[in-house]
Amino acid sequence: MKYNELTRRYFGAPSTAGILSGPGVMRGAAGNRERGTWVQFDVQVVSGTLTAARFLAFACPHTIAVAAFVAEQAIGATATARLPQDVRALVERFAVPEEKLGRILIIEDAWAAALTSH
Amino acid sequence: MSRSVYAPENPQRPVYLDHAATTPVDPCVAARMAEVLNSHSEFGNPASSSHDYGDAANALVETARRQVADSVGASPDEVVWTSGATEANNLAIFGVAQYYRDSGRHIITARTEHKAVLDPCRELERRGWRVTYLVPDGEGLLDPDELAAALRPDTVLVSIMHVNNEIGVVQDIGAIGAICARHGGVRLHVDAAQSVGKRAIDFTGLGVDLMSLSAHKAYGPKGAGALLVSKRGTGRQDGRVQLTPLQYGGGQERGLRAGTLATHQVVGMGLAFALALETAESEIARIARLQERLWQGLSSMGGVLRNGSTRHGVPHVLNVSIEGVEGESLLAAVSPQLAVSTGSACTSALSEPSYVLRSLGRSERLSESSLRFGLGRGTSERDIDQAVAILGYQVSRLRQVAGA
Repeated sequence: MKYNELTRRYFGAPSTAGILSGPGVMRGAAGNRERGTWVQFDVQVVSGTLTAARFLAFACPHTIAVAAFVAEQAIGATATARLPQDVRALVERFAVPEEKLGRILIIEDAWAAALTSH
Repeated sequence: MSRSVYAPENPQRPVYLDHAATTPVDPCVAARMAEVLNSHSEFGNPASSSHDYGDAANALVETARRQVADSVGASPDEVVWTSGATEANNLAIFGVAQYYRDSGRHIITARTEHKAVLDPCRELERRGWRVTYLVPDGEGLLDPDELAAALRPDTVLVSIMHVNNEIGVVQDIGAIGAICARHGGVRLHVDAAQSVGKRAIDFTGLGVDLMSLSAHKAYGPKGAGALLVSKRGTGRQDGRVQLTPLQYGGGQERGLRAGTLATHQVVGMGLAFALALETAESEIARIARLQERLWQGLSSMGGVLRNGSTRHGVPHVLNVSIEGVEGESLLAAVSPQLAVSTGSACTSALSEPSYVLRSLGRSERLSESSLRFGLGRGTSERDIDQAVAILGYQVSRLRQVAGA
């Protein structure tokens, strides 16, 4: 499997991997480890703005890279259940094979679950 | 000829631990092949017996034939050159099935065989043959009693590999051969592509009818192999095993494999096998020590499961499943620094778990998160220590990312 430079970078050093705790932190997850893909997001929202985001993922390199990117890009944005970029744009940016589209939709589900978990 | 030591030209390259996939050509073999290719007197067609050029090439081919035969306990006239073990497997399976089609159309093999055996069997099923796929135990070993129970009056061939390419498990070919002999001498084919230099082979003593060999798994060239065709009848009333050839045109190799022989290729295979025989004893002991060092290092990470029998395996192959990491990510993380094989077959963007490990009862996840380490002549203690350090770092990192 070949990965583009962006995927290699975010997979190799996913700086937003981890968990959050404290006031205003919400958590959501989607997928299933036994089925090969599981993603969790922790988001901290202050006055309607995302101030921090972290992710955990048992997943392929594309999924880890996209989740890391989503958590990074969301900081400072208005808290919304929609991803900072839509799934199609993420698939293109990270050169995710069409067969893996379902895995990126799991990221979208996990993100929505976190933002609607309160 | 002095033994050469394989050493990577570039120490910055990933550590090569995929010798079960292929091996580098031994420098002595490469040099000898180049000599043959550059020769002005040995370039003739080995089948041209009317002049010295052909005779010289034929002499090289026959020397190589003897070297291959000597290394596996066979007679030179039992060696049929092929392009590799895949062609040898195809020739054995289709050749027997076609020749004995009026005697029966049942074949027995195992779920853990190489695709070069399974795919011809599946093709025969499409053509109307029946195939029984034996299931190994949790360590990858076949029960000879299950083979005995599967044999039928219309069974024309049993095809069982010697050393498994994924898990290194060695089947008891002697016991399997004895069962086949007791059952009216049903023909036995053995895929021994992984065996040379790793485990001693006595083709004559094992009671095997057909055996596939590969050059490139034993520091020889790719594109060369052989099918050993026994000249004994192993007690059968209908005598020695017969094959219908797959290709025609020239009658080379006693009519079993038509086509002009690639002299330099078979010379390379012959020398590679001779060298493997010469160094086998010391190499097996050295590799066993390295495998133990690797296993101790990997198992210290925790959550590492060994796949395949430890008592009935070659030391050159160590297959492990690693808990808490996803298979594709594991391979992607280590592959820039470490050349190993994964337990998933990436035939598309979505990987498929190893059918061999699934046959042993491993879960889909653990089959995917497996790695096969293939140790070989060029492997050093430093390589092993590097591999353990790389794996330790990347597994820890991926487990953290996964929250495991």
